[in-house]
Amino acid sequence: MPREAEPSINERAFILEALQENIRLDGRPLDAFRELHIAFGEEYGVADVQLGKTRVLCRISASIASPYPDRKFDGIFTITTELSPLASPAFEVGRQSDLETHLSRVLETTLRRSQALSTESLCLIAGQKVWSLRADIHILSHFGNLIDTSCIAALAALRHCRIPDTSIKGGVLIVYTPLERDPVPLALLHHPLCITLNYFESGEKMLVDATLQEQQCSEGEIVVSANPQGEVCLVQKGGGGEVDALVLLRGIGLAVGKVREVGKVIDRVLEEDAKRRDKGGVVSRELRAENER
Amino acid sequence: MATKTLVFPGDIISPEVLPIPTNPSLPLKLGPGLRHVPPSTITSTLAGPLCIDRKKNAIWVENNTGRYIPQPNDLIIATVHHSSTDIYHCSITPHTAFAQLPQLAFEGATKKTRPQLNSGSLIYARILSASKHTDPEIVCYNPSTGKSEGMGELKGGMLFDISMAMARRLLMHKQKADGGIALLEEIGGKVAFEIAVGRNGKVWVKSGGVNETLLVGRALQETDTQGLGIEEQVKVVRRLMRQV
Amino acid sequence: MPLPPSIYHLSSSHLRLDGRRWNELRRLTAQISTQASADGSSYLEMGNTKVLCTVTGPSEGKGGGRRGDEDSMSVDVRVNVAGFAGMDRKRVGRGDRRITELQNTISSAFSSTLFTHLYPHSTISLQIHILSLDGSLLAASLNAATLALIDAGVPMRDYLVACTAGLTPPSGRGDGDDMDPLLDLNGSEETEVPFLTVGTGGAGGGDVGGGGGWV
Repeated sequence: MPREAEPSINERAFILEALQENIRLDGRPLDAFRELHIAFGEEYGVADVQLGKTRVLCRISASIASPYPDRKFDGIFTITTELSPLASPAFEVGRQSDLETHLSRVLETTLRRSQALSTESLCLIAGQKVWSLRADIHILSHFGNLIDTSCIAALAALRHCRIPDTSIKGGVLIVYTPLERDPVPLALLHHPLCITLNYFESGEKMLVDATLQEQQCSEGEIVVSANPQGEVCLVQKGGGGEVDALVLLRGIGLAVGKVREVGKVIDRVLEEDAKRRDKGGVVSRELRAENER
Repeated sequence: MATKTLVFPGDIISPEVLPIPTNPSLPLKLGPGLRHVPPSTITSTLAGPLCIDRKKNAIWVENNTGRYIPQPNDLIIATVHHSSTDIYHCSITPHTAFAQLPQLAFEGATKKTRPQLNSGSLIYARILSASKHTDPEIVCYNPSTGKSEGMGELKGGMLFDISMAMARRLLMHKQKADGGIALLEEIGGKVAFEIAVGRNGKVWVKSGGVNETLLVGRALQETDTQGLGIEEQVKVVRRLMRQV
Repeated sequence: MPLPPSIYHLSSSHLRLDGRRWNELRRLTAQISTQASADGSSYLEMGNTKVLCTVTGPSEGKGGGRRGDEDSMSVDVRVNVAGFAGMDRKRVGRGDRRITELQNTISSAFSSTLFTHLYPHSTISLQIHILSLDGSLLAASLNAATLALIDAGVPMRDYLVACTAGLTPPSGRGDGDDMDPLLDLNGSEETEVPFLTVGTGGAGGGDVGGGGGWV
């Protein structure tokens, strides 16, 4: 009969006492992330993100499908999350938990409704053929802050993903294999990320990247999605303790700073990965330039 | 633990390594990770160093994986989940069934003087009985003497997670010689603290302040995750001491 | 997101499509005790958004419930969108993620507003029926639920009142100064403008932010 590990009275009291002195259990400052490690798979579109002990794998897969009849010019982009008992004893098979709904809705708002990935760019032949893109997010281990980790994984995978190049000749759709033409990256309009802030003392203290224990002890959480340009995509605070409206503003400011920081890490890792893959030399670079859309 | 042979699952333990019993009437005891195939073959089912205790005529494979499975006589740190008429239901790990702690199973407890524990309290207890088919039963006193022997409610302090092998090492009689742990002595020389180790991979630490408690907890966790030797442990303690 | 600028005549006439100014609410009417059989009920109209809410309980949780939630009441929310609520007849399945999220948001909002610790071992259930849907769904549901809970006499810290606010996109000329805030969005505005639902307690500074959109 597995269940969520609830913190005991002693742990709760100690965490709160330590926070009053601005100390976190792992010795981080209040506004610091745990160690972030991003790895890409051998294939394009697979990202494995580790944030401390929390680990999330995201895989993007693409196939060609017919569009929804009411959205003829839009491709299909679905995000699915999988919370299996592998990650935490609190997760059950089959039943969709509140956390899972929350997680997938936040990701959907952040990545899809904010038009980060323009679904119009996935259209091949209006009303007939579009790319159907799927982001499968697997939670491998849960030690707090699933939302941020999943969002980093999804965005990193999207930015890393390449889909086959296509062209239309005389109304016939041609999909090129990677040998004929280099696969093309996705058209991402901006790069939003989620930052979850757990607050204590009615918003006096805000923790970035809370661990599971800190999350369980906090009064509530605020989710902010923003892009490195400072544009906010989502602010969410459902329930939890009451906070002043100014706390929200302060939280958004804090989150935007963190988004920039994490965005830079993703940029750097993507660059390193591109360097690793670029074995070609001059010839391949010129070929690629030709194929770039 | 003088001789250490590494075994893999399926290895046959050669009779030479088996301990020669000091007392011929004492039967050979097989611990975790070993399996007796009649008539006289012993094979291992886990990978790890083979440990031998000549005095007890026991042999087992040390292995640092897996969840905690309650075993009789283990000391554990549990959380009270809820109480019913005369039983506290306690959670040992999130995966195991609730353990039953009779409300009278404390030192000198009577119907009137039994301790009142709220849900979420921490207790240090010994497992009385555990089997696959029933909920484990735990007690906070030694049933033969009626004394608490350090068990009971843990007040204040902080709980830290450690691996099960680390918990076993910490509970060894000769910590330094057998377990290879020197950091508690090292810290103990400078900071006063209380500690309780549970076989279920939990350590409870209480000290004067937040920083001191965290110092002990972090030193333990670092030693555990990085597999530090005795000298390195001393270094870690000195480094953490400087930060306090 | 490229937006058809024709939708906004705000800069020229300072009126929205339905003739409201930027800071005007739609017509708000509400009734309580509409359903005789429920413990508490309310009917709320915000313009063309019409919501009926009934409260049952607090009553003993069914099937024993999950252990661990025993020391406080759990808030169970069911949102039912009627087939005739939108422009074209559509059945919204129970598994719809948007509806599930809506339920969770309302549930967590009231879990922290109601005195849940007064009713251990029990459940209070809110049934919210959306009869007509024209934007501000979360805000209307929260307001209707508050009314129904007041009608049922459930003790609460404060009234939870919600409204949506949006921001028109910049016209492209200025540097964002010409972005106008909009209050209480209707259905067509909601699809075009980034918006936020804010719920606050009457006196305190509590709030429930929901939704989003691209700025």
